[in-house]
Order: sequence, then C-alpha cells, then structure tokens
Amino acid sequence: MREATRRMRAPLTIGADAIRAAEERTRLPIARLLLFVLVVSVPFWPMIDSRWLRILVLVGIFVVLGLGLNIVVGYAGLLDLGFVAFFATGAYSYAILASPASPALQADLNWWLAIPIALTVGAAVGVMLGVPVLPLRGDYLAIVTLGFGEIIRILLLNVRGLTNGAQGLFNIPPPQLGGWVLKSLEQWYWLLVVSAFLIAIAVGRMRASRMGRAWEAIREDEDVAAGMGVSTVKYKLMAFAMGASVGAFGGLIFAGFFQFVNPSSFTLLVSVNVLSIVVIGGMGSTPGVVFGALILIGLPEVMQFSETERLLSVINPAVPFADTTDWGRQLASARFIVFGVLLVAVMALRPGGLFPAQRAHVRLADRAEAAA
Amino acid sequence: MFWFDQLVNGLTIGSVYALIALGYTLVYGILQMINFAHGEIFMIGAFAGWAVLLLLGGTAIGGPMLIVALIAAMVAAALASSASAVAIERVAYRRLRNAPRLAPLISAIGVSIALQNVVLKLTGGRDRVYPRIFPTGEVGVGDFGVGYIQAFLIVASIVMMVGLLAFIRRTRTGRAMRAVSEDRATASLMGVDVDRTIVTTFVVGAALAGVAGVLQGLWIPNIRGTMGFLPGIKAFTAAVVGGIGSVPGAMAGGYFLGLSETVGRELLNQLPGVSLPNEWRDVIAFSLLVLVLIFRPTGIFGERVSRRA
Repeated sequence: MREATRRMRAPLTIGADAIRAAEERTRLPIARLLLFVLVVSVPFWPMIDSRWLRILVLVGIFVVLGLGLNIVVGYAGLLDLGFVAFFATGAYSYAILASPASPALQADLNWWLAIPIALTVGAAVGVMLGVPVLPLRGDYLAIVTLGFGEIIRILLLNVRGLTNGAQGLFNIPPPQLGGWVLKSLEQWYWLLVVSAFLIAIAVGRMRASRMGRAWEAIREDEDVAAGMGVSTVKYKLMAFAMGASVGAFGGLIFAGFFQFVNPSSFTLLVSVNVLSIVVIGGMGSTPGVVFGALILIGLPEVMQFSETERLLSVINPAVPFADTTDWGRQLASARFIVFGVLLVAVMALRPGGLFPAQRAHVRLADRAEAAA
Repeated sequence: MFWFDQLVNGLTIGSVYALIALGYTLVYGILQMINFAHGEIFMIGAFAGWAVLLLLGGTAIGGPMLIVALIAAMVAAALASSASAVAIERVAYRRLRNAPRLAPLISAIGVSIALQNVVLKLTGGRDRVYPRIFPTGEVGVGDFGVGYIQAFLIVASIVMMVGLLAFIRRTRTGRAMRAVSEDRATASLMGVDVDRTIVTTFVVGAALAGVAGVLQGLWIPNIRGTMGFLPGIKAFTAAVVGGIGSVPGAMAGGYFLGLSETVGRELLNQLPGVSLPNEWRDVIAFSLLVLVLIFRPTGIFGERVSRRA
C-alpha cells in the first residue's frame, strides 16, 4: 500500500525510448488505425452532406493551424499572437506563384510542388520573425508578435506589385496531378485528414525527441533550461520555424481550397481563433487541438443549420419557431464573446484546457516490466 | 501651414496615446503585468461619454451647456471605465496573481476579445457617431491655427497629466502607490493596504483612458467596439518607448509616438523614393516598438524589465 502510494506520487521522467515504449503500450496501433478508418469514412455516413463536409474542411484547416501554434505556445510556451502571419505566408506564397492574376510573375506552379516551397518559406519567415523576439518574454513577446501579424496584413494590402493589394489573387488553381484535379469536397476532406494525421504524428515525434524535451524545459523555466545547457536560442528558433512551417501549410491548403486570397482573410481574428483552439483544447495536447477546432469552429457553423435551429426550438419551447430562424445564427455571431469568456474561465478553473496534455512519464516499475 | 498642421495632429494623437499609456505604465509599475484589456477600457469610456452626450441633447448642445455636457461626459467615462477596470481586475486577474506567467496574459486577452465583441453585438456591428457639438473655428495667429477641438484635447490632456503627477507625488494615496511599486512586501509591512492600492491604480489608469476615449470621440466622431485595439497597442508602444513603469516616460512616449506617425512619417516622405501613405503609420509604430525592445529595452526613462516575465 505504502509502496503503491509512493509510486503514484513519484512519476519519474526518463529517456525518450522509455516514453515511446509507454506510449506504444497505452495507444495500440490498432486503435489508431480504427480511429483513422472511422475518420476517413465520415463522407459515407448517411447524414453527411456537402454542408457538413464544407464545415469539416474548415475545421480541418484550423486543426492544421492549431497543431502548428501548439508547438509554439503549448510545447515551447512562447505566446504568439501573430500566427496569422505564417498562415498568410503559406497562402500567398502559393497564390503569387500560381494565380494568373499575380502581377509579379506567372509561374503556374503546381500545388503539390508548392508544398516544399510553402514549408520552407514558412520556416524562413518563422526564423526571421523569431530572431528579433528572442530576448523577449511573456507579455512583450505577445504584443510584438501581435504587431507582426498586423504588419503582414498591411504589407499584403500595400505591396500591390506582388500581392495585387485589396483585390487579392483569384483563379488560384486547385491541386492537380497529371489530368486529375482535386476538386470535390470529399477529396479535400481526405487530403486534410491525411495531412492532419501526418502532422500530428510528426509533431508527436518532435515532442518526444530531444528537441521536445528542450522545448518543455524552456517552457517551464527558461533560465534554468539555459543553465542546464539547453541552447535556448536554437530551440526557440526551432519552435518558431516548425510552428510557422505547419501554419504555412495550412495557408497553402486554404489558398488551394478557396482558390482566392485577399488580405481581409488574414486578420487578427485568425490568430485569436487558433489561440482559443489551442488554449481551450489544452495547451500541448493534440486531441485538445482537434476537439478544440471541432467545438470552436465546427459548432458555430452547425448552429446555423435550419435543422439545428428547429432542434433548438424543440429543446427550448419558449422560443417560438418563427423566431428561431435567427437563433443559431445569433449565437454563432456571438462566438467571439464566448471564446473570450472561455479563455478567462479556462485560465481560472482548468488551466490545462478541456483536454489536458498527457505528460509523458514512465514509472520505474514500468520500466522494469518493460525490460523483463 | 503643412508642417504646423502635422505638428498639431501629432500632439493631438500623442495626447490620446499618452493618456492611455499612463494606465499601462501605472499597472505595470505595481503588478509587473500588462493589462491587455486596457484598450477596451478606453473604448468603454468613449461609449459612456457618447451616451451621456446623447442624453443631454446630442447636437442640440450649445452655449454654456457645452461645458456642462463635456464635464458630464468625461466624468461618466471615467466612472464607467474605472468600474470596468475594477471588475476586470476582480474577475480575471486577482486569482491569477501567483499563477504561471502565461495565465493572466491569456485571461486578459480573453477579456479583451469578449468586451470588443459584446460592444460590437450591442451596436449591431455599426459605428456610433459622436454629436458634433464643438463650434468650428480655430484659435491662433495667421497660418498657425489650431481647431477648437484639438486645442481643447491637448490642453485637457496636459491638465490631467499635471494633475496625475501632483497626485502621485503629493498625496498619501500616491505615496502608497509608489511604495507598493517599489516593494510590495515591505509596503505591506509598513501598513499600506496593498490590495486597495492595486485597485486604486487600476481606477486611476482606467479613468485617464476613459477620458481619453471621450476626447478622441469629440475629435474623430466614429466609435465602435474594436476602436480600442490599435490605440491600445500604440499606447503600449508609447509606454515601452518611454520606459515602462515610468510615469513621465509614458507621457513623453505618447507624444513621441504621435509625432513619429505624423511629422516623422512626412519627414521620411521627403527622402527621395520614399512614399509612405497614412496607412503606414501603424507599421511605423510597430517597427518602433520592435526596435526599442531590441536596442533599448529600458526605454528613455525606465528600468530594464523586458526580460522579466
């Protein structure tokens, strides 16, 4: 009994191999595979029509963005309020190279070839914006990154020779391979599911690696981390670069899906949305990002379906049906009020978020079992 | 006189920045935290003043009534802003005073987003417009004329700032504020009520921001829920430029930023090949913020703090 209590209270964090072993024990590959199949099969479910798929694609884009910001905020503890800058970088780097409306050059770039370009440009912009903010912490970092997000939008509006200003870039081609064009909502949905899965796995690997442990050390106490020999400069820049890269990929998907970009899509509200997803879902938690995006992005959209509104009128008969045509829309338009209140409430009541990150730890006894 | 007008515009917008920046710097001095929702306090003041002016007759206000209405609007704004600040401190900050460093910051961002959108929702997303109650006309000699509104704005701001300095330096409460910002624990041992002093600081900063909201509304009549966002960031920049925690620094920083956006931008435009239209003033402010934080994090008057979380 005493032994059990002691073990419970003293989880010991040890090497990455042990962490991986523990992860594999708890999350069977079969379970993951089933989950993947379940998610992939969504378009075949009877109730799912194009409206649902459109929402799921939007949710998927925000899952990708959330996974990116989660590296910066959740893992490394760097509060970035200008994440939209990287989203815009990815979207515009493809749009400029592919749109026939692009004033600077007509490169006619294929979407698939744009993937490495967007990832590289994203990482480069991440490092570029990361270097000046290296010495800053907490509040200062937040406000300077907020400023960067705004500067990018102002640049997009005003550097007309490259971005076509407020009119934006249109007729951006969707992804195509040979003669096959990725166009239907189902295909977009699958592309997003596969990308999100791959990114989630990659990000999970990063977290379990030496880099991930360095991020965690920096998040908990930067001075102590530096004192223990963690190169804070290198790993903070890595966090910015990785996060920005993923954010730029989200932008690339956005540009290919909507086939149109203009500066009004890249406002502070995007950063607020993504930050809310990460914080309310649970900083550092991948399931948190997914559920956060489903709740914060998906739910307000679903609220606007007429069926949902009819349903709400059944639940709440005090609202006569004639008025409910507006009910869900009213609530959806108030979503940012809810986000704000949720941010305050989560910080006060449940700082880990709705789906808190599992801290990777292995007990000594587990390790003995694993070795046996 | 083009340059004179630029100078006056710079001083006008600088006054607004300075008044808001004081709230940042006062709260920072005492709690070492940045009150992210301070821009929204400014916005609430603007709306409170607008409501009072409408109640008192809107555009019909004139003659001696003008002075009464102005004072009433500013007092109402100061009260509404202070009340909101006290409520925010209670709900969002107080229990997080010893939490990890990101927690109060995220909470403050939440407050800021919620307040912006509550007001947007209440106004149906449309602008509200301040009644034009000031007589048009200028004071000054020849080409050197200043519009009544701008003259009033600048003078009123300076009067308030002088009042604030006197308050901090001469009164018992002011002394308590300085003591708590110097060393909270020792001040508390010396019999200073720390919690009350913190609330007082929020109230003073918020009242200044609220009045700034009314002053800006009189000058630029359109107000909306998101109006506090940019002035909030700019005033924060001003506070950093002046050295955060320093009261005279925030004032100087506000005017410096106001002049950089107007006179400074036009001076840059004199260079060959440079053309910075008005939209670029935000870029100028943000660049200034980044440059100051990198090269002179202490600002003009302040202590080195940017590394402290």
